[in-house]
Amino acid sequence: MAINKDTAIVQAEEQRAQAEALFNSIGEGAIATDEFGRITRINPIALSILGYKESELLGEWFPKKIVALNEQDVAINLIDRPITKAFLSGRSVTEKVFYRKRDGQKLPVMLTVSPILLADRPIGAIEVFRDITLEEEIDRMKSEFISLASHQLRTPLSAIKTYSHMLVDGYMGDVTTAQKKSLRTIIGATNRMNELISTLLNITRIESGTIVINARMLRIDRAAEEVIKELNLAASEKNITLSLTQSGKLATSVKTDNLILKEIISNLISNAIKYTTEGGAVDVIVRGRNKDVLVTVADNGWGIPKDAHDQVFSKFFRAQNTVKRETTGTGLGLYLVKGLLERLNGNIWFESEEGKGTTFFFTLPKEQRLRNN
Amino acid sequence: MANILIVEDDKDLNNAYSIILSSQDHTVESAFDGQEALDKLKTFKPDLILLDLLMPIMGGLEFLQHFDLKTHPAVKVLIFTNMENSPEVAESYKLGAHRCIIKSWTAPHNLARVINEALESNSVQAAV
Repeated sequence: MAINKDTAIVQAEEQRAQAEALFNSIGEGAIATDEFGRITRINPIALSILGYKESELLGEWFPKKIVALNEQDVAINLIDRPITKAFLSGRSVTEKVFYRKRDGQKLPVMLTVSPILLADRPIGAIEVFRDITLEEEIDRMKSEFISLASHQLRTPLSAIKTYSHMLVDGYMGDVTTAQKKSLRTIIGATNRMNELISTLLNITRIESGTIVINARMLRIDRAAEEVIKELNLAASEKNITLSLTQSGKLATSVKTDNLILKEIISNLISNAIKYTTEGGAVDVIVRGRNKDVLVTVADNGWGIPKDAHDQVFSKFFRAQNTVKRETTGTGLGLYLVKGLLERLNGNIWFESEEGKGTTFFFTLPKEQRLRNN
Repeated sequence: MANILIVEDDKDLNNAYSIILSSQDHTVESAFDGQEALDKLKTFKPDLILLDLLMPIMGGLEFLQHFDLKTHPAVKVLIFTNMENSPEVAESYKLGAHRCIIKSWTAPHNLARVINEALESNSVQAAV
């Protein structure tokens, strides 16, 4: 018995040493707590990231000692701390937060905290985290680069588009019908290039959280009217009827961003034109309601196959029935529209039947507060 | 019609807007950066300024800081840029810009329409 007991102690010691070595060799910061959230172990990388000595943290209550902040520099409530959520749910939680270092500096970290469960009861937690300052800086630089590159690409495009329009409109004298047709092809191509640049730019800004909202009161039907004027040429080339109706008596004004709103409407109408057969119809209806404004973009085009409905708003998704017939889509438009609407506190959904057409609906709330990050 | 100052460093675009707006019977002056615009404003009194943001020597935002719109309430400034949804556009609104138009999206007839709408809102305010 004595030998067995000694063996068990040796084995336990070995396991403890292995766990210690494993914990200390994790390439990211790691903190272990007991069931009450008191720090029981902390690895050298965590100490280095947070700027503490081990003796200053061991035995301390983790949520109090290491303050977590949100984007707005406000301390996150205990109930919303990832470790609390992990204890309450019994599951791993991954989040980005900001930690306050010992010297007071604010540090962005990506963390995963997992409860240690024994018979389904949490007896502690282990949090692994890494400093993402450099990643955020690279993201910011990437956004700046895309923004600058987009601007530089657009400047010559603006000149091509403006002069082509001027030629068509007769500012430089008469042009023949054949010449006008060629100029419209040039305008159409510059429009497509512009759309692509806008899409890439806006996706980058949404994903990095740097899109800027300039909110003011505006009428959605007027914004839709302006978009339709820009897209009439594309519609007429396919002999598609493009109509706008303001339905109901309630106001269609909301406090929102004019350019983002037009980007949303433009994407939906462009899609409807693109995926509707020649001679079809695209109807835009703007309806003011009590608490929001509902915009409907309906076409009688190819429709979306039922098995693709779940993926319509996914990045790079294109339905099989469109890939075969229309090669210019990127699969980014609806992903962007959804992201932009979320940023404006709006909602989007659709109804579609293959071969009959698709109707997209979106709403924007009349009363809301839009904040920039 | 109205007096319009175009502030745009791209010579081709500046020339194009000048042709379009002159054909609408507006009196048009051109400047190619913010500093040149400030110099022109010593003698030219515009009803509307079409202002680019990214320009050499003096950009649009710096121009707006110098040309205080609070002291020129009758002048409308339309920002004409390719940097939509950017912090620069947000800043231009804070400095009193009336509206922002994206160059590469805007066809000449739409530019003329937006300018006329802005000028009409000027006259309404003047009447009030």
